[in-house]
Amino acid sequence: MKKEHRAELIDNKSMNSDSSLLVFRCPEIAEESRPGQFVNVSCSKFLKRPFGVNDTDSINGTFSIGVREVGEGSAEIRSLEPGALVDVLGPLGNYFPLENAKKLIMVGGGTGVYPLHFALKEARKANVQTIYICGFRCVSDSCLVDECEAFSDRFMITSDTGDVGIRGTVMDALYRLNENEYNDATVLSVGPEIMMKNVSQWAENIGLDCFVSLERRMACGIGMCLVCTCKIKTKNHDDLYENKRCCADGPIFNSREVVW
Amino acid sequence: MSLRMSVGTLTFESPIILASGTCNFGRELSEYISFSRIGGICSKGLTLSPRLGNPGCRVAETPSGMLNSVGLQNPGIDYFLQNDLDFMSSLSTRVIVNVAGHDPDDYVRMTERLNDHSDQIDILELNLSCPNVKEGCMIIGSSPKEIFNLVALVRSITSIPLWVKLTPNVTSIADTALAAQEGGADAVVAINTLLGMAIDIRSARPILQNNTGGLSGPAIKPIALRMVNECSRVLSIPVVGCGGIMNYKDVLEFLIAGASLVEIGTATMVHPTTPECIINDLEKYTAENHIESLSDIVGTLKLWGV
Ligand SMILES: Cc1cc2nc3c(=O)[nH]c(=O)nc-3n(C[C@H](O)[C@H](O)[C@H](O)COP(=O)(O)OP(=O)(O)OC[C@H]3O[C@@H](n4cnc5c(N)ncnc54)[C@H](O)[C@@H]3O)c2cc1C
Ligand SMILES: Cc1cc2nc3c(=O)[nH]c(=O)nc-3n(C[C@H](O)[C@H](O)[C@H](O)COP(=O)(O)O)c2cc1C
Ligand code: FES
Repeated sequence: MKKEHRAELIDNKSMNSDSSLLVFRCPEIAEESRPGQFVNVSCSKFLKRPFGVNDTDSINGTFSIGVREVGEGSAEIRSLEPGALVDVLGPLGNYFPLENAKKLIMVGGGTGVYPLHFALKEARKANVQTIYICGFRCVSDSCLVDECEAFSDRFMITSDTGDVGIRGTVMDALYRLNENEYNDATVLSVGPEIMMKNVSQWAENIGLDCFVSLERRMACGIGMCLVCTCKIKTKNHDDLYENKRCCADGPIFNSREVVW
Repeated sequence: MSLRMSVGTLTFESPIILASGTCNFGRELSEYISFSRIGGICSKGLTLSPRLGNPGCRVAETPSGMLNSVGLQNPGIDYFLQNDLDFMSSLSTRVIVNVAGHDPDDYVRMTERLNDHSDQIDILELNLSCPNVKEGCMIIGSSPKEIFNLVALVRSITSIPLWVKLTPNVTSIADTALAAQEGGADAVVAINTLLGMAIDIRSARPILQNNTGGLSGPAIKPIALRMVNECSRVLSIPVVGCGGIMNYKDVLEFLIAGASLVEIGTATMVHPTTPECIINDLEKYTAENHIESLSDIVGTLKLWGV
């Protein structure tokens, strides 16, 4: 039987102006999580809060999440201190289809870089060639820059202000890739919806598969209540759609199926 | 000591029933809990044709509860009968099918379909209380006369035990409960969600794209308890209590107020193992307090004379 876990916070370090990386001990979640999956974390609010898995360490039985402070729940979780015990459900949802990828282009924006970091690490383990592009508003928003640069074969960073990397958005970085670089690649994108939409249009136009991680307000997190639905095209009918559960059928969807 | 309850012609392994719309058809929850001591499971609310439900954001967290505006997303009754009913009846618990219609004709046509599977269905729960659809349902459930007509109509075409799920969004739940009883219901379920709203102060828009939604969770428990008690005092048929139950003490409150069974909804969404925890705690409580049968405490509320 699956169960809810009691995880102990081992480490909490600030990553930038509004987010922190939290490491929890929970061997089951560390063992089972795959890149793209998320965990549902309890706080004093009524419902749990979903966060993408950023990394796992099965030897030490730990996993980590990156938490950006946007409201009361995330602020409370971000301010937890080592030793704190929290109820965590997970790992939840589906994961990136990494098995058959020949080459990966990963495009992350904002907190999207946390779950992408996990995919990047797994790709490195599997000796898959990677291009990693991350975009932030400004340098004080950026995070996981050195780690991701070290794990990727090609690395680009962009910022709206231009105070770090290329001035502009992740699209300005993508446009710099030549055919040799993007041929045969699978694209993974996590971040603001408008960014994922633009990235997937770019990918679809040049015939690449693109997988995106959709975000919805959730309640149960395990597919029972149908509050978290995303519009997904019905198979073989481009003009029809179904409401799929972000938490259980997603959060990862092929961008061609998404009704943006 | 067992938690078994007899209600009407049926026995239930425990008074704990999983409320409609909070456990889909049981598949996901079956990975977290065993159903052997669960009293029953209600299907997601079914309609004659498949429904996509409402667009946009469908959930808002509120103090001690939540609003939902799912709007009866479901695969339709025919798909359910072909693809989900077998699974539900394999769970070794009572199978309760929750149906919602636009009009009386919808309820009749769905009941006819269910009649063909009456060996697999223990109870038909008429949802006269969904606040998230524009037609039928709560509109019918707000009028004692329409409730009576509808229940009598469905009663006349099926021998499946009939529960009527009532809405709290009425002036007198005793009146709607009595109408259900007179129409031939075997029990009433009280309550469904309360119509509510949550507002984002920055955009000055409701958080739910449907503008309003149904409030559930501990926030509604006092209202549900009051309504269960009102129903149980005027009815001769059993009352199934529902609304905000989070733990075994809440269950005991509902039984004392007059509920013969209870349904648990939002609590399962917060912690999937809640139904099992509650059953464990009830077993412990009855053993420690030498309670032979939980039915002994049903309706034992001693009201103050005022
Ligand atoms: C699959 C998934 C993965 C996610 N991964 C991450 C991650 O790795 N790092 C990270 O910092 N954040 C992530 N989020 C977003 C995170 O869950 C929300 O920021 C958090 O729940 C907000 O809680 P709050 O109490 O602070 O905010 P609230 O005060 O409740 O709301 C503030 C804002 O957060 C949004 N929000 C509230 N609840 C949810 C919810 N349940 N799901 C999505 N958005 C919500 C609201 O739309 C609102 O704009 C993810 C969300 C999903 C669905
Ligand atoms: C997400 C959600 C979906 C629901 N869907 C249905 C439904 O399809 N049919 C129905 O009769 N009640 C539905 N309900 C109402 C519940 O069954 C229950 O009556 C209500 O939530 C109050 O109980 P609770 O506080 O224990 O959740 C739904 C409730 C929620 C939270
Ligand atoms: S959050 Fe309940 S189905 Fe996704």
